[in-house]
Amino acid sequence: MKTMELRVTVNGQPRKWSIGPGDLLLDVLRREGFFGVKRGCEKGECGSCTVLVDGRAVNSCLMFAAKVQGCEVLTIEGLADGDRLDPIQGAFLDHGAAQCGFCTPGMILAAKWLLDKNPHPSEDEVREAMAGVLCRCTGYIKPVEAVLAAAKQPAKRATRKREPAGVAR
Amino acid sequence: MFERVEVFYRPASVREAVRLLAGGKGRARIVAGGTDLVVDGDPTARALIDITHSGLAYIRKQGGGCAIGAATTMAELEESRTILALGGGILARAAATCGSIQIRGVATVGGNLANGSPAADLVTPLLVLDAVVVVADAKGRRKLPIAEYLAARGTKGLRQSLLVEVTAPRPLGRRCGWSFQKLGRTALDISVVNVAAGLQVDGAGRIQWARVALGAVAPTAIRAGATEENLQGRTLDAEAIAQAAEGVMREVSPISDVRASAAYRREMCRVLTRRALEECAAQAGCAL
Repeated sequence: MKTMELRVTVNGQPRKWSIGPGDLLLDVLRREGFFGVKRGCEKGECGSCTVLVDGRAVNSCLMFAAKVQGCEVLTIEGLADGDRLDPIQGAFLDHGAAQCGFCTPGMILAAKWLLDKNPHPSEDEVREAMAGVLCRCTGYIKPVEAVLAAAKQPAKRATRKREPAGVAR
Repeated sequence: MFERVEVFYRPASVREAVRLLAGGKGRARIVAGGTDLVVDGDPTARALIDITHSGLAYIRKQGGGCAIGAATTMAELEESRTILALGGGILARAAATCGSIQIRGVATVGGNLANGSPAADLVTPLLVLDAVVVVADAKGRRKLPIAEYLAARGTKGLRQSLLVEVTAPRPLGRRCGWSFQKLGRTALDISVVNVAAGLQVDGAGRIQWARVALGAVAPTAIRAGATEENLQGRTLDAEAIAQAAEGVMREVSPISDVRASAAYRREMCRVLTRRALEECAAQAGCAL
């Protein structure tokens, strides 16, 4: 298989990877150990593979990896600042807004896209932004509440400590 | 799915993109957002040509209408003041229904047209807006009215061309109404049926100009030509709308698929056309 070099910044760290020209971003990120990027439907429907590319929420299952050349990619692993959780992560914890957790990285990153763009969204705007991430445990109310809460109280949650946990794959 | 792709190009100009496409021996594929190409897969693709760095992401005012670069995303259309002001904003409204924010941030107007889905949401508003598609190949650029483009898409003449731009002329101004109606299984789903309409009435409430376009109910999105003709010159009232809504059912040729039966689609053509014309009438200041 032919390969090409991909230079990309992932979670603030510059990377240089060898990829296939037809590789998808989801496959490359998981191959490189970013297991917070979940493999779900692989058709752009479930949103579990959501990452931010230059601040824009995308389905990494639908994006050729070569397209992120020179871009900044943010995965769920890069959201906390050391031990300090992002306000959205803190709000998800406070609201118990995860059941099995498989969709949670996508939900949080879709929410981050929204709050970066629109710090004070209405509930409708939150629901629209989150609509591309499917939860098959069927719990949308708590995630929506969590995002609305994160939008209200960013200062409080910025100091929250990261909780030790195993890495789910 | 794309393991056999040998090279990924990022041309910096249309000229270069067209040259790469022509040199691809039929095995080069254009990619913009990739949201259709990746889902469909293409085991015959050997080269990918990413046109998102080719200077094709723009929305420009042009002679009272606008020109939209093929690599402009749905999100950009939704938020553009120019597009929101064009023809009652029906194109912006259609773009806002094209899937989730993850899709709309990367999916492009060029992809929506070039992929050729009969349900493509931008096509019915573009038909109503009398849009023109600009394609480029090694010989130069050509303009095609959108209906002609839809008919010719995929034929030999267009296979080696790149869709570079969509233009819409200045829409009519006074006493106009515009509407886009979409019925999908869920808020994010592809259309079961979509309808766009535009019309203008004179001071006496008679219809001077009418456009009705329907998507997902024929091999391509279509204009309901006979219905438009029947509306012409009539007073825009409840009876005219009811007859037009009945009329479109005779102009469509829907199929049954996983999303809906042909009979249901045909019935929904009536319902959505009525809603669309009612919205147009309200905007044009006609009491029903």
